[in-house]
Amino acid sequence: MWLLEKECRELIVSRAWWVLLLAMGPLVGVGFISSVRTYAEVSGLNGTSAGVGEALSPLIGVWAPTFSACELAAVFLLPFVAIRVVAGDRQSGALKLELQQPMGPFVRIAAKAVALLAGWMVAMLIPLSAIFLWKSYGGSVHAPEMLTLMAGHVLNAGLTIGLAAAIASFAEHPATAAILTLSVTVGTWIVNFFGAIQGGWWERAAGYTPAAMVAEFQHGLLRMDTVLVSLALIAAGLGIGAVWLRLGAAVNRRVYESAGIAMVTACCIFGCSFARANWDTSEARSNSFSEADEHALRQIRAPLRIEVHLAAEDPRRLDLEHRALGKLRRILPKTEIRYAAATSIGLFEQTSAGYGEIWYELDGHRTMSRATTEEGTLEAIYSLAGIATPKESEDDVFRGHPLAVSANGAGAIFYGFWPGLVALGGFLIRRRFH
Amino acid sequence: MLFEVQGISKRFGRIQALADVGFHVRAGEVLGLIGPNGAGKSTLFECLGGTLPCDAGTLSAGGRLVDAKERRSLLFYVPDGIAPWPSQRVRWALDFTIGFLGGRENLREEVMEQLDLRPLLDQPVGALSKGQRKRVLLGIGLLTAQPALLIDEPFEGLDLRQARDMAGALRAHAARGRTLFLSIHQIGDAARLCDRFVLLSGGRVRGEGTVEELAAVAADRNASSPGSSLEEVFLALT
Repeated sequence: MWLLEKECRELIVSRAWWVLLLAMGPLVGVGFISSVRTYAEVSGLNGTSAGVGEALSPLIGVWAPTFSACELAAVFLLPFVAIRVVAGDRQSGALKLELQQPMGPFVRIAAKAVALLAGWMVAMLIPLSAIFLWKSYGGSVHAPEMLTLMAGHVLNAGLTIGLAAAIASFAEHPATAAILTLSVTVGTWIVNFFGAIQGGWWERAAGYTPAAMVAEFQHGLLRMDTVLVSLALIAAGLGIGAVWLRLGAAVNRRVYESAGIAMVTACCIFGCSFARANWDTSEARSNSFSEADEHALRQIRAPLRIEVHLAAEDPRRLDLEHRALGKLRRILPKTEIRYAAATSIGLFEQTSAGYGEIWYELDGHRTMSRATTEEGTLEAIYSLAGIATPKESEDDVFRGHPLAVSANGAGAIFYGFWPGLVALGGFLIRRRFH
Repeated sequence: MLFEVQGISKRFGRIQALADVGFHVRAGEVLGLIGPNGAGKSTLFECLGGTLPCDAGTLSAGGRLVDAKERRSLLFYVPDGIAPWPSQRVRWALDFTIGFLGGRENLREEVMEQLDLRPLLDQPVGALSKGQRKRVLLGIGLLTAQPALLIDEPFEGLDLRQARDMAGALRAHAARGRTLFLSIHQIGDAARLCDRFVLLSGGRVRGEGTVEELAAVAADRNASSPGSSLEEVFLALT
């Protein structure tokens, strides 16, 4: 308890944490106010024609952009808070005293992680306050999708804390740790970029980067493999941090232990990537086919093979992935999907015979389609399986929650109240400690 | 004998900071580690305190080796030049020492009195002067419960009066059975306070014992008596 209390005290006197809190109000405010305005316009405000369906899902229309402030803060602000908490003891020399207490290094790093996570939860109160505002406007909130979204941002913060803890514990100086942490983040963006261009293993790896993970949670998709991989990475980061906090252990030993942790983590990630359980918590079922279609697809027992002749950067391939194949994988996890293309952009393959074809194979029967829509894909599969296309129920269609209101009071709350409260809190803490 | 150190070696790249260092520490004594700048005094303390890995060497007590875990219950090391928990107040630092580092609550008032810490209690550690910080560090060390206390440069940053008071406080704790092992580069301070000495130079132990014993070692080596003061013995052996 002493250690946890000490870590919490260190966090609240950290200027980096107060800067994070101060920045959160305006960041959330910009996202919330602009998304409520857009949502209102799509809902028919000022004579605009009202949209329908997914466009009026609060998750996509309001909460994803509002909570994107958390993503920005996790990438650009939280690392500095975490580095301050982890490396501060080493810089001040307190670690040399604390290490003489017979406590395991993992307990030490866990105390820091708990304090940092608590600090992050405090920061998340600011976007959470937007929910009360939205409700006061008469807006609809679907709890499962909100919880999924928040879980995604907590996991993302956990990844940042794990990464920063690992790097801060072995870097000689906090500035070096900050540069290295941001470099790793930029590295994950490069993986995303390569994943989009190269496909294959790059694409698979890109699926586990923080940005891709958050994007899934923003759509209300809760995937077991993503959660497990994130937890494994967080544990690995904290584990490496614990290893390097042991100043009295030989460097060679610490290197071997870190390599061991990295290998165990790689095995865990490989194993976790086969976890298929997932839940579409979005009210709009934006990651799923309709219930009738899912019921029909579940009747298919034989493995389905799909060969897609589209290049990695071809927009039709992205359409196909997002509108159909992603949903299909959730219902038929044994589906084997293979992409075939001679180039990455596909621009010069358009005239090649077979380019753009999507071949479906089931139980020895094959059929070809060029449609990249949900309907086109399902039609091809039903025709192969000999299943009649199920009738769409009116109840299945998500009609959205149109809300044509202005974000009244939001500016005062996010640009005035929250920054003022944070500034007052920071001032009082400073007076208390100095 | 409280513990024995044998064969401690530490190398930083090409520099041999410590080479086969060995000596004995007796229960209840005030042992001074003396040596010129760069002799390896702080490195030796860091290795003994478990905050720096040594390349070789053992620590044994009662005829058996002491591992890293047991070492933590045998000795406590107070480094020089640190400002732990700079944003926290001195009062909290002392509470933390008692609560987390297993310090002795019953010594709190006495230590505060001896080191004149009361006026500093509500100041953040990071805002203290060098001498004030040293007093707080010594307070932290004296509150801990381990039988042996290693202090790196206990008089660094203290004025003459404070150094004298500090020496008195350390003596009082030693008189109650606490073993003190002090790294001191001011020979005069060391001579006033310590019962025995370990003389370190160039990473090697040049002698161990009382001033008389060290003088005898110096006389043997130099074939002439260096005199009876610690300064002369120090110069003769380094």
